[in-house]
Amino acid sequence: MFKLSLPNRLALHVANLAVIAVILLPLAAVIIGSIQSEKSLQADTRRLLPPEVTGDNFLVILTQGEQRGRIFDQATYLPDNIKKFYRAFANSLIVASSVTFLTLLFGALSAYTIARLRYRWTLFLLQANIVSRFVPAIVLMIPLYIVMRSLGQLNSLSGVILAETGFLLPYAILILAPYFDAIPSELEEAARIDGCSRLRAFVHIVLPLATPALAACGVIMFIVSWHELLIPLILNARPEFMTLPVVIASLVGDVFVFFNLMMAICLLALLPTVVLVALLQKYIVEGLAAGAVKG
Amino acid sequence: MNLPTLVFLGAVLAYPVIYAGYLSVHKVGLAQLRRGEFPFSGWENYGRVLEDPLFWMAMKNTLVFTAITVISEIVLAVAIALLINQTSIWTSRVTRFLILLPYAIPPICNGLIWSFLYSFQLGFLNRILFSLGLIHDPVNWAGNPDTALYAVTVPYIWRTLPFAIILVHAALQGIPRELYEQAAIDGANAWHRFRQITLPMLQQIIAIILILRTAFAFAVFEEILAITQGGPGDATWVAAWYSYKITFSPPNNFGMGAASAFILALMIAAIALVYLRAVYRRVQL
Repeated sequence: MFKLSLPNRLALHVANLAVIAVILLPLAAVIIGSIQSEKSLQADTRRLLPPEVTGDNFLVILTQGEQRGRIFDQATYLPDNIKKFYRAFANSLIVASSVTFLTLLFGALSAYTIARLRYRWTLFLLQANIVSRFVPAIVLMIPLYIVMRSLGQLNSLSGVILAETGFLLPYAILILAPYFDAIPSELEEAARIDGCSRLRAFVHIVLPLATPALAACGVIMFIVSWHELLIPLILNARPEFMTLPVVIASLVGDVFVFFNLMMAICLLALLPTVVLVALLQKYIVEGLAAGAVKG
Repeated sequence: MNLPTLVFLGAVLAYPVIYAGYLSVHKVGLAQLRRGEFPFSGWENYGRVLEDPLFWMAMKNTLVFTAITVISEIVLAVAIALLINQTSIWTSRVTRFLILLPYAIPPICNGLIWSFLYSFQLGFLNRILFSLGLIHDPVNWAGNPDTALYAVTVPYIWRTLPFAIILVHAALQGIPRELYEQAAIDGANAWHRFRQITLPMLQQIIAIILILRTAFAFAVFEEILAITQGGPGDATWVAAWYSYKITFSPPNNFGMGAASAFILALMIAAIALVYLRAVYRRVQL
């Protein structure tokens, strides 16, 4: 709206380039780290780009240790968790999709009643959700661990799904409520006069209108639950039930796992959510803003 | 229609929080878990936590970590939101396209990537600084007790900043253009327009970011696990890491872990109540 002078434009370009460089720095590191061997990292500790490029790190992960390529040819040790990559990927996918589905289902029902029914108890429900959103995961995990342990539910995907759904449900409700609030109620009222029940009106009239809200909330839920570490880390210790973040965390203390292999598995784990963010950016931006500011 | 939500909130949130309170006043270790009996111990767990110098170290580190990350995030979020709001600058449009990228990175991956960046011998950051001629000897970013805590703030800010930027950017677009045009007619320069119009109009969103980011930075976990595991020494022990280590590494004192986690939860609950009063007051119709 204001004409910018040339020096100002240049300064803004420089500022933008600096921000872009900082955003891309870790991504450059993860890519460059993953396409070389530990030897080439050690050979020259000042060199930026690797002398030779290799796909062996990915090969060993994607074939679950069966094909080792040149880098790992002589390796006598490969962490077991690396050999369960597809299992972990599938577990992450199952957990994230189930949590997304459940939070959307229950969240939509609750958010709708909070937006439509102005009773004391719906207000209380909203406030309870707002406070719940702040509960740190570590406080829940100690008692949940003991409860799940006594119920024999440690090491199961369903335990993780239920815990994450409960943990994320308040956030889903906070994101969805303002969207439902913005949908005009005349349409449902007309349907209700024609004899439609509230639930039917919700399913057939409100939900179709709320698709952008469900998309925004759904993609945020998927991303947050794909990223979740603490809940599956504490509830699942057996490799069959580990999600990707847990597998990655298990490599942290392992002195025999080198950065290159870690960077490769990190790159594989971050790709799905990066693709989602690139494709659904508009919805995520709206959803994040809705979940934080609107009542 | 609210039944499923109430069941979930009760089973996964309310019940564990109450149960954590219960555990925190009982003696709960591995032996007690095996037997299934938790003898009542009164305030003993709290007493032991409060006497533990490591707990106070973790608290101090948490406060320093939170102060640094929250203040930096607010300043950077306002600056970068103003930057990407310059739609006539093409590089601003590129930045705006990329701004959400850190939000897509799993926190544990973010931690590991930065631990590679920071690595003393093999690290990517030192390589870049060598190439630019800025340093002559490798710098041990995360391995030095004096700098480790500051080193772990950077990845955390990097990952969580997009959220703050998006909120500020959305608020910026809600400021009526007429205000700026009127101010320009009155002869206000860019700095005055920022001080007199932009900043006051951003006040509410800045308060929201302050509260949300403070509450979440208090519970930082993944980056600590991936980059320093609390070290070197105890330089980067934070509150969530303390509760985690006390509980889930030998000698597995669940009672003390629950007590320390409960203290953390009470502090965050205080922040949450401020948030409720400040932001959602308008819902009381």
